Amino acid sequence: MIDRRAAYNVSMNVTRRDVALLVAAAAVPGPAAPQAAADEETRSAQEALANNARQIDKIDLPMATEPAFQFKA
Amino acid sequence: MANKVPDDVYFASISELTARLRAKEFSAVELTRAFCDRLEKIGPQYNALALSLRKDALRKAKDADDEIKRERYRPLQGIPYGAKDLLAVANRPTTWGAKPYADQVFEESAAVIQKLEKGGAILIGKLAMVELAGGGGYRYPSASLTGPGLNPWDRTRWSGGSSSGSGIATAAGLVTFSLGSETSGSILTPSAFCGVTGLRPTYGLVSRRGAMALSWTLDKIGPLCRSAEDCGLVLHVIAGGDSSDPGSAGKSFSYFPQFARKPQELTVGYAPVDFEEYAIESARPDFKSALDAVKSTGVKMKQIELPDFPYGAILSTILNGEMGSIFEPLIKSGKVDQLADKRQIAGLKASLDLPASEYLKAMRIRSLVQQKFRELFVDIDILLTPSRSGPASKVTEALDRATAGPRPQSRGLSGMIPAGNLCGLPAISLPCGFADQMPIAISLVGRPFTENQLLALGKLYQSQTDWHRRHPPVTEPRS
Repeated sequence: MIDRRAAYNVSMNVTRRDVALLVAAAAVPGPAAPQAAADEETRSAQEALANNARQIDKIDLPMATEPAFQFKA
Repeated sequence: MANKVPDDVYFASISELTARLRAKEFSAVELTRAFCDRLEKIGPQYNALALSLRKDALRKAKDADDEIKRERYRPLQGIPYGAKDLLAVANRPTTWGAKPYADQVFEESAAVIQKLEKGGAILIGKLAMVELAGGGGYRYPSASLTGPGLNPWDRTRWSGGSSSGSGIATAAGLVTFSLGSETSGSILTPSAFCGVTGLRPTYGLVSRRGAMALSWTLDKIGPLCRSAEDCGLVLHVIAGGDSSDPGSAGKSFSYFPQFARKPQELTVGYAPVDFEEYAIESARPDFKSALDAVKSTGVKMKQIELPDFPYGAILSTILNGEMGSIFEPLIKSGKVDQLADKRQIAGLKASLDLPASEYLKAMRIRSLVQQKFRELFVDIDILLTPSRSGPASKVTEALDRATAGPRPQSRGLSGMIPAGNLCGLPAISLPCGFADQMPIAISLVGRPFTENQLLALGKLYQSQTDWHRRHPPVTEPRS
C-alpha cells in the first residue's frame, strides 16, 4: 500500500478542509510579530516624550518662575 | 399611537422647542419619545450611541409635562440632550469609551448632569467617545469601545474626537444639544468636523465633579449645540462654582449677550497666514468669506502672531504627567492592554517614565505662556482662527500621518488649540462653510471668563450667515 501523504508524484487526496487549515495557518502571524509591533509602538511613544523634552529644554526659564497651578482671569 | 411630533423638531433650536412645548404643540413625552426613537435607530449607524436612557427620559418628560401644565417653567424644560460617556449617570454604566471600564457604575451623577436635570433638560442617552478621551495619544479613529465615530455628512469620514458621539448626535439631529469635554481640542474638533457650534468654557467655570479625569489642570466640560445662542442657554445652566471640584474658579455665569461690548469696541486678532497658507486649499474660499463676515460686523481687525512657544510639547508633557498618575492603576494592572488602539496603550505606558522634573518644567513654562497671553490680550479682545485647517479626514487614515506641503514661514495662530488650553481660555467654534463637501469652522478665543463676549459675537456672526442651520441628509433606516 502506498502512503500517499509521503509520496511524490502521486495524485494527492487533499480535502477543502485541509486547504482551509493550511491557508489559515499561513495567515496567522508568528508570535514574534505582535511583540515587534508593540516594541515599535513603545519606541515611538518614548521618542515622542523625548521630543517633547528636547523642545521644552530650549526655553530659557527664569529661576523664579513657579509652576502654573493657578488659573485666574 | 401616531407620532404627533413634526420632523422639523430634530433640528430646531432650544428657544424654538421651548416655545412650542409651552404652546402645547406637542408634549415633552412625545418629543422625548421621538428623539429616543431617532437616537436608537440612527445613533448606532454612526457609532454615536453608548447607552440609551429611554425609560428614565420618558419618566422625566412626564414630570416636565406636569410642570408645564401648572405653568411652572425651567430654562431647559423638556429639551432632549445627550452626554459624553465620560460623565457619570447614577446607577447606569459609565464606560469612558474603554473596554476596561465597560461595567463601571457610579452611585452619583456628575454635577453637570444634576444641574441640567434641575434645569429641566431630559437626558436621553450617553454618547460615544474616544477611549479615555484619547489619553496616551491614539493613532486611529477606531480607538473606542463603540468603534470609530462616523461623520453624519459622510460616513467614510471621521467625526473628530474625543467627544465624537456628541458631535455626531448634535449634527444628525439625534439630540437638541450635547455635552462634551476638552483637554486639548475635544470639543472644538468634533464641533468643526460635524458642523455644529461648540463652546469650550474657561477652565474652572464648569464643575467636573463626576467626570473622568484625564488632566486635572486642563479638563473642561462644555456644550455642543445648534448655535451660539443655544451654547449660552446651556452654559447658563451648567456653569457655577463647586467646592467639590478643586479646579473650580468659584464663579457663576449668566447668559446676557445683550450686555457684551459692541462690535465697534472690539479688536479681533488674526493672522492671514492661517486662512491663506495653513488652511488646505479647498477650504480657503469659505475661510476667506468667514473672515470677511467677521470684519463686516464692525470689529477692528489686527494682524498678530502667537508668542513663540512649543505649545504642543508643553501640553503633551503636562498631560502625560497627570494622565500617567491618574491611570497608573490601569497601566500597572495590565488591563490597559484591553484598549483598542496600540499607540494609545504604548503612550499610556510610556507616560509612567516621565520625570517629575520635566512635568514641573512644563508647568513653569506654562506660567510664562499665560503671562504672554495676558500681555497679548491688552490690545486684543478676541482671537480669530480656523478651528481646524480643513475638514475631517478619512476614517481609516492614521491621525499622526505627516501633512504634505511646505510649512509657512510665519507662525500665525497655529497652535491655538494647545495654547488656548494651556491658558484655560474660552473658545467657540462656529460653522463657516464647506470644503470637499464637509463642514469647516472658525474659532473665537477670548480672555478668561469672557464667554458672553464670545457668544455675543458668535450670535452676531450667525445672524449674518446660515452655515449653522445646515444639516446632513440623515434619514431613519426603514424597519
